[in-house]
Amino acid sequence: MPRIADLKELSSLSDQLAAERNDDAVLITVCGGPGCQATRCSDVAAQVKKELADNGLNGKVRLRVTGCHGFCEQGPIVIIDPVNTFYPKVKPGDVKEIIDRTIREGKVVERLLYRDPASGKVIPTEADIPFYRPQSKTLLSQNRVVDPLSIDDYIAIGGYKALASVLTDLSPEEVILEVEASGLRGRGGGGFPTAKKWAACRAARGEEKYVICNADEGDPGAFMDRAILEGNPHAVLEGMLIGAYAIGSQQGYIYVRNEYPLAVELARTAVSQAREYGFLGEDILGSGMSFDIDIARGGGAFVCGESTALMASIEGKVGEPRPKDVHTAEHGLWNKPSCLNNVETWANVPSIINSGAGWFADMGTKGSKGTKILALTGQVKNTGLVEIAFGTTLKTVVDEIGGGGRDGKAIKAVQTGGPSGGCLPASMFDLPIDFDILWEKGSMIGSGGLVVMDEKTCMVDIAKYFLKFLQDESCGKCVPCRVGVNRLLEIVNDITEGRGKPGQIELLEELSDTIALTALCGLGKTAPNPVLSTLNYFREEYEAHIHDNRCPAGVCKPLIEYSIDNVLCNGCMACLKACPSEAITGSKDEVHSIDMRVCDRCGICLTSCNQDAIVVQ
Amino acid sequence: MAMPLESILEGRKSQPHQLIEVLQDIQQTHGWISQEAVITVSSELGVPLMEVYRVANFYKAFHLEPRGKNIVTLCMGTACHVRGANPLLDQALSLLEVEAGQTTEDGLFTLDAVNCLGACALAPLIILNGVYHPNMTPAKLRTMIRKIQKSEGGPRDA
Amino acid sequence: MSQYITLTVDGSIVRTPKGSSVLDAALLYGICIPHLCHLPTMSEVGACRLCIVEHVQNGRLKITTSCTLVAKEGMVINANSDRVRKLRHNIAELLVTQAPNSKAIQDIAVKCGVTEARYPFRSDDCVLCGRCVRVCEETYQARAIGFVGRGEHRRVDFPFGVRPDFCKRCWACVDLCPMKVTPCEGPMKPGEEYLCGRCESTVNPPQYAVGSCTRCDMGEGFSCEGHAR
Repeated sequence: MPRIADLKELSSLSDQLAAERNDDAVLITVCGGPGCQATRCSDVAAQVKKELADNGLNGKVRLRVTGCHGFCEQGPIVIIDPVNTFYPKVKPGDVKEIIDRTIREGKVVERLLYRDPASGKVIPTEADIPFYRPQSKTLLSQNRVVDPLSIDDYIAIGGYKALASVLTDLSPEEVILEVEASGLRGRGGGGFPTAKKWAACRAARGEEKYVICNADEGDPGAFMDRAILEGNPHAVLEGMLIGAYAIGSQQGYIYVRNEYPLAVELARTAVSQAREYGFLGEDILGSGMSFDIDIARGGGAFVCGESTALMASIEGKVGEPRPKDVHTAEHGLWNKPSCLNNVETWANVPSIINSGAGWFADMGTKGSKGTKILALTGQVKNTGLVEIAFGTTLKTVVDEIGGGGRDGKAIKAVQTGGPSGGCLPASMFDLPIDFDILWEKGSMIGSGGLVVMDEKTCMVDIAKYFLKFLQDESCGKCVPCRVGVNRLLEIVNDITEGRGKPGQIELLEELSDTIALTALCGLGKTAPNPVLSTLNYFREEYEAHIHDNRCPAGVCKPLIEYSIDNVLCNGCMACLKACPSEAITGSKDEVHSIDMRVCDRCGICLTSCNQDAIVVQ
Repeated sequence: MAMPLESILEGRKSQPHQLIEVLQDIQQTHGWISQEAVITVSSELGVPLMEVYRVANFYKAFHLEPRGKNIVTLCMGTACHVRGANPLLDQALSLLEVEAGQTTEDGLFTLDAVNCLGACALAPLIILNGVYHPNMTPAKLRTMIRKIQKSEGGPRDA
Repeated sequence: MSQYITLTVDGSIVRTPKGSSVLDAALLYGICIPHLCHLPTMSEVGACRLCIVEHVQNGRLKITTSCTLVAKEGMVINANSDRVRKLRHNIAELLVTQAPNSKAIQDIAVKCGVTEARYPFRSDDCVLCGRCVRVCEETYQARAIGFVGRGEHRRVDFPFGVRPDFCKRCWACVDLCPMKVTPCEGPMKPGEEYLCGRCESTVNPPQYAVGSCTRCDMGEGFSCEGHAR
């Protein structure tokens, strides 16, 4: 493929590729996103290939494996176009029937269609499914139509046109003004106005400047960036190119966490394709601008999501943050001006240039413009990636999109913002999703992870979970984080194990306040948030643990007891055989009993009983 | 035959900032990073020995001891936690009788507990030898481990 | 072009060479801001967080470490406000309950007003202040020791736990270590640790006389430059 020399050549290539795609040939789209990978979509795709080859359909039917469509709970997902039929939970054994019925006979396979649990009806079209209806999929919709391994797919849908128009029509300052008008704020958690960061970096002294993409995505429960990088890597490259032009940078890095080897591979492929087409390298599209991107891999450290630690890691050092008395926009990577933005932030830039700042600013709220991709997970029926316009309420996300709680349990809270964020109780679900509003209420949007918790989740245990995580990931340099978080964990652990004492809640609050003010980096400063937000909204759970020695949700082992209901037990001995501690006694057809002195509270008996006879309190 | 150190270092000599990339390659091809490798990397890249040792210890990806034949990785992310990662961990700990991060004495298993694999919609998740297993239960895990113990391990009580 | 700049610390006008830190400027004038990881002639890391002060900027009071804050003309600093004292007290309390078996750490605790410990005592023999690591790297350029590991597993160690040949046996690391200065009656028995505080408290309780030095003498390497003996 020869280099593309200018905007004109790009336009004609784009038109040509678009025309090739839009013929009426049948298209089978198989989702290859992180969730579907785990449910073996690759087997489904392989089966499709085989069926097409065996039946001589290769000329008439195309297969495209794309990035994440969002409805991960229902994966593997297969969509047939142009009829636009949506098939969830497809197994390799279903493929033949799909091809025979839908493609050859033009009919749908009713038993494989999505069935809405609420209405009981089947819904053959993606857009009508309740999970998708309230969403505004400006970014994720691109995943639907692009094979991440194909730069041609990206060009066919208008890719790199934004870059070309920027290079041809706008000055760097005008680009920054456009991004400012859009109201784009950082999508990695900080919510810092993107244009402001770009302007500061542009204004910083020095010829050598760096543009960095933070794909560390360490928040447990978050996989949005992974889906973008593995589904539409060129959008990220194009965004970085536009940013580099605005700032005056010639070198960029995409820092991908170690746990995402596929994202590393796809990013590398995208970069080499972009180089081939002339979008990276010297004299891009004849503009005189030179820019290249290298992929840097993380080593497995959550703290490397922090900007100064990330830069240290690119330099080959340990990821220890340094005090931010000097901003990275002036002294960052190799001590040079650096502009670090999150994957989703970069991916939004081409759309803003293509559709205009006004289009972007029309979505969202006054302070939070545009859309946000959320990772909806936890105790909710429909899990997956969700893209909503800011201003959408938590209720819409959890109930309408998420489908409500699982197994009929009531939803108690949502946790947002990862370990730096907080929990919000169900009573506050009317809140719109907005950077500032959630922050005011003691939580934060963070990178977009939204974990749903039901009545069987103990909020003190959640605080303990996050403290353990943070203690594990702390770099250990400063006293408030290394020792302070450790002491917070010690106290919360005591509370969950029945050793809670009066006065500990107040001590937790005071120590949390100290850590938040004195820690060296963002990890430490926000470490107390899970404790503070659970204390704020679920204080009664802490008090029950401390004063009544009771865990209301039935989670904290030393405070709960397992017993067998002697009416429901049918003497089948299933639990007895499964118990690893041999704590259950009884014989066939006789009611069993659990010896609490031996019982480990591991919960295996609960999962083995078919009669629901095991009681936890 | 694992890629020799020499070819991993090729084109990267005297470039200290390549340290993490080099250690990644060594870890991936050899399964662990030996003391000799650390010393060689230090002198070839021009990074002080203390610094290489520091970096190798700081990042979870690097292991300075040989690992087991089968790597069991449990995800302990928030979504997995809320959907029952702890019972899985309890099962693994009691079946394998090692702490997370350690290798069983017979070298058959290494147990890792990591903080989120990024496939949260299908929690709880484990990875066994690079293959993802979604929607895990303690019973499923027990079956998987026992199967390997029977086929690859020595005589063992069930 | 003046080589000096002027800033205000706790209401006092302080004149200091350009490029010096707020901590250096304050210490020069006898405004004794407690510190542990700071040492003259070595780089600043801001790890212990004891030297925190309030930087008054645009009507906001930002908490930051004075050792890493470069003094600028016209800066306004509160080194001993109630909030700063409270925070220092809490940090010192964390330190002394980690490692009570050191006169230096006990003295810092008293200096910061710690009179009771709200956490169970532990008996760490290293507070990870990093003085040893920095003197080995920066002054003696040996890099024989360093910080290894993360979080609560962070420790100071040799490569692979074995003293390397290139250790110069200068013992500067030992000389500067705050832990080697034990309480007057020797190490406390495990389980029987307590807050000693006798050396400081009889001389000058820290609530009094902001800005006047107590000649605390926290062991070798800790003598305050403001009042050399």
